[in-house]
Formats: sequence, C-alpha cells, structure tokens
Amino acid sequence: MYFAELVFHNVYTRKTRSLLTGLAIAVSIMTVVTMGVLTNSLRQSAISILRTGTADFSIAQKDVSDVIYSAVDEEDLTAIRSDPGVESVVGVLVAPFKLDDNHPFFLQIGVPPDELTQFGVDVVAGRAYGATVSNETMLGYRTAREFRKSVGDHMMLNGNDYEIVGIYSTGQVFGDSASMLPLVTLQANERKPGTVTLAFVKTKPDTDIEALRARIEHDNPQLATVRTESDFGRVDRNLELLSAANTGVSALALVIGAVTVLNMMVLSVFERTREFGVLRAIGWSRRRILLEVMGEAFVVTLGGAVVGVAAAFVSIRLLRDVEALRGLFNPVYGADVFLRALLITFGMAGFGAFYPAARAALLRPLAAIRHE
Amino acid sequence: MNDGTEPTAIELIGVTKTFDRGIVHALDNVSLSIKAREWVALTGPSGSGKSTLLHLLAALDEPTSGEIVVNGRKISDISNISEYRRREVGLVFQLHNLLPNLNAVQNVEIAMLGAGISHRESSERAHELLADVGLTARETLRPPELSGGERQRVAIARALANGPSILLADEPTGSLDSSSATSVLELFARIRNDRKLTILLVTHDAQVASAADRVITLKDGRVAAPPSGPESTSPPASTHV
Repeated sequence: MYFAELVFHNVYTRKTRSLLTGLAIAVSIMTVVTMGVLTNSLRQSAISILRTGTADFSIAQKDVSDVIYSAVDEEDLTAIRSDPGVESVVGVLVAPFKLDDNHPFFLQIGVPPDELTQFGVDVVAGRAYGATVSNETMLGYRTAREFRKSVGDHMMLNGNDYEIVGIYSTGQVFGDSASMLPLVTLQANERKPGTVTLAFVKTKPDTDIEALRARIEHDNPQLATVRTESDFGRVDRNLELLSAANTGVSALALVIGAVTVLNMMVLSVFERTREFGVLRAIGWSRRRILLEVMGEAFVVTLGGAVVGVAAAFVSIRLLRDVEALRGLFNPVYGADVFLRALLITFGMAGFGAFYPAARAALLRPLAAIRHE
Repeated sequence: MNDGTEPTAIELIGVTKTFDRGIVHALDNVSLSIKAREWVALTGPSGSGKSTLLHLLAALDEPTSGEIVVNGRKISDISNISEYRRREVGLVFQLHNLLPNLNAVQNVEIAMLGAGISHRESSERAHELLADVGLTARETLRPPELSGGERQRVAIARALANGPSILLADEPTGSLDSSSATSVLELFARIRNDRKLTILLVTHDAQVASAADRVITLKDGRVAAPPSGPESTSPPASTHV
C-alpha cells in the first residue's frame, strides 16, 4: 500500500463529509475565479480605451466613478499642446448608448478626422467622415462584420440616421467594436460642446515623460495622467472598488474554506483518536501522522478547487449573457487569477488542517488507544 | 524454546511507575530479565501492573524511575522512539485495534509505511505473513467481516511486519472463545520457534499462562511468587527474576 493510496482511501471512506467539504471549497474557488476573471476583463476593457492609438499617455478627469464619464475641457488641452515636450494631443469624446438588447453598451467615439491617424485609426475601407458633417460615420470592422454593414449602407445610432462612409481598425477590440464620427457632431448630439472624455498625448523624442506628466497634473489638478495599468485607479473608482471587492472575496473565500477544512479535519481527528494511537504504537512517527492528516485535507481541497474552476468557466459563460455586461465583458483568463485560486486552495488546506494534524501528531499513544 | 545460553533480551532494573503524582504505584521497584527466544507469561490480578509493564517495554510510556534495557540498549537512551517501536517490538492488543476500513492485507502493510520498505516488498511480506497465520483466503476482508480469532491473527501478522525480535501481547486471547484462544496460542508457539522471537504475554488466564516457558506474577506492582507451570520461578517479592 502506498502512503498516497492510504490518504485517498481515508478521504473516500468518509465520502459524504469529503464531498460536502469539497463542495464548499468548490463554491469558494468558483467565486474567486469568477470575480478575478470579471475584474480582469472589465479592467482590460476599460484600459483598452486608454490605450487606443499610439499615445505615450492619456489624460482623463481625476477621480471619476467610471472613466467613460470623464469630462476634460478642450481649453485645457490647448494649454497642454503648448508644452515644449508635447508633439500632439488628440481629444476624443466617448458616448455610450443602448443600441439594442444585445448591445446595451455600444460606443460612439467622436474624433476630428484630421487626427484619426494620430489616434491610431486605420481606415480599411471607404474614407474618413467630413470634419463637420452631421450624418456620416465610420464603423469599426468588428461592428461592420457583426451588423453586416458596408460602405454606403445606413445605420441608426442613438436615434440618428448615419451613412457609413468608412470601415476602420484600431487594433483594439474595444475601439473596433464601436463607431466613430466627427468630434463636433458627437459633442452637439451629446450637448457637450468643448468637452472631451479623454485626451491622448504623444511626446516629442527625448522628452522626460514623467516630468511632463507631473507638469500637466500640477497645472491641471482636476486631471490625471495614465501611463500604466497601476495608474488606472486614479481615473476609474468603480474598477478600483471592484478590485477591492475581488480581494475581499478572495480573503473571505480563504477564511470560509479554511474554517470548513478545519471543521472537517477536527471531527475526523477526534473520531480517529484511537487509530492515531495505534499507528503511533506500531511505529508511525509524528511527522507521518501530520502528513497523513494534511494530505487528506489537501486531497479534499484540491478536488474541490478543480470542480470550482470548472464551475467558474460555466458561471463566466452565464455572466456573458447578463444584459448589463454584454459588450463589456470579454473574459480574460489571466494566469494571475488561477495562481491566486491555487494559493487560496493551498491556504485553505494548510491553515485548515494544520491544527488538527498537529493535534493528531502530538497525541500520546497510550491515551489515544484508550480513547472511547 | 530458550536453552539458557541465550543473551538477555529484556531487562528491567528497579523500575517504578507511579500515577497521580506518586499516589498510585503501578510498578514498584520491579527488576526482571527475559532471555532471547524465551516465552514469558506475565500474570497477576487486575491492577497489578501487568499492562503498565508491557506499555513501558513498548515505549508507550516512561518509567518514573529505573531502567529498561532491550537487546542491550536502554530505552531512555533511544532518540528515535518510533523507530524502536517499529523495529524492536511487535505489539498485539487485546482488542486487535485493526483499522476497520482497511482489509487484512492493508492492515499489515500499514505497519511498514515509512519503514523504508518498497511497496512491492511490503505487499509480498504482508501476503506471506497472512499466509503464515492461516488467512490467505481471508486477506481481502475487512475486520468487521472477520471472526475475533481471525482479527487477532491479522493483528499478530501486523505486529510481525517489520521483523521485531520481541513480541509483546496484552491479553491477546482475552476477548476470544476457548477454541479461538487455543488456536492463537498455537500460533504464538509456532511463530516463536519459526521466527526465534522473545514473547512477553500478559494474561490473567492460568491456562494461557501455562503455554509459556516461564510465568512471572505481579501483585500490587511488585513481582510475586506464585508457582505456575513446570518452569516458572518463585522469587521473593521485588527481587530480580
């Protein structure tokens, strides 16, 4: 008999209890993975807005709940353009609206046509819209493909009829799943004249980018510059809250899982007191008893975690169909999410089983054998 | 059987064991020695200290004072007590104490886990031992499916798994009917001869004790002197026997 075989055998012997504990672990791990994937995906979607184009960094209103509701005055951008380190600043207005039930969060992006190239937009079919034309639009190639639209077709967007004059690509899923139109047209439609959502800054060669960011933030305390993912929280409080909730859920899952494992193993050790006494009497070392109990906890916990990860894939698939998340939630299965789930799994087993395992190992064999 | 020229396997030198902070004397200055390959029955009334003595020899407990020497080594000097329990002594309990969820083979194999024996060798040894105790046909059954005598045979096979030189048995026939008890005693006799074992068997049954080479009687924690059996000793209380 292999030691591992004995460990599995002991788990199997108490199958109902093992299954129930594994189920609790599975639910915890499912929650951790689902929340992790959801947070990562929403973060990636939001960050992709800020990464559109070839800019060195982006500018948004500081401390807004969601970056999409940022408001930056174009006059501020004019001042920023005059900085000697700045090569160009492209201001864009982003306006979300519900296109239909399948597209509850469709984006219109207002960009001046002469700044499309700087913004990283490549017109792949047709032409760019006119600077002041109110009924022309371009569709991202993903949108065009989904709605089977091509140049010359018409499309109703947010209550207005537009002629599709071009198809574009940005290299970002977020941008390519939207539409673009002249900035002034969108500002007029949204009643936001002189306002943009974001600005994308391209610097001149050899410019100290960090120093430039510091100058901009000093001169415009209502604005925040974003260069890396870690900067993102300064312009999107919702995602920061979601990240915090994700961390909280992970901590809670760890505690719940560890307590569940603790409960199972304490009961198991209590029931098997005589068994451990006999094993010690026939020559088992304390270390081997410790390993046996810890091993059983790890088997149950890892089994539960595997089921939990599988259940997470199902729950993520179901979440994609939730109306509020359609278009926003493109699952990103980052390794960090699974690493976190694995660490939590080991934490559950380790924290939950150590006390009962140590207690079993430290039993005095004679007293344990006499235990009723 | 011991011919008197064998070395000493077990020696107790002035061993005292007290409980309840010295109020209860389970063993009181006991000295005795047992030769290798000798079968000794340890008898006495309930509370006389028989099981306590056995537990001290099995290193399940420590004496309050005195020394216990097994195969030339003081137990108190042994640093790895698990290794001692595994290699030097085999232990048979009155209530077999088999693991109910493991079958007979697994119950024997479990004693060899961590003993540095390969899986294949431990499996072969378990099968051989069960064959030796006459349980080949029953080896896949779990303890609840075995009779009392069969369970005790599995327990004996487990005690022999790591090849100990000393077998310690605490009332091994105490919960068996007379037929099963006789069978188990015959098994003890055979394995003692086959494996050249030293056996110390605790019993309060005179008939069981009569199967041994020598009987040592304890009374109130001291060695007493009831003559029982042709080779038994009749020493004065607490002298070396």
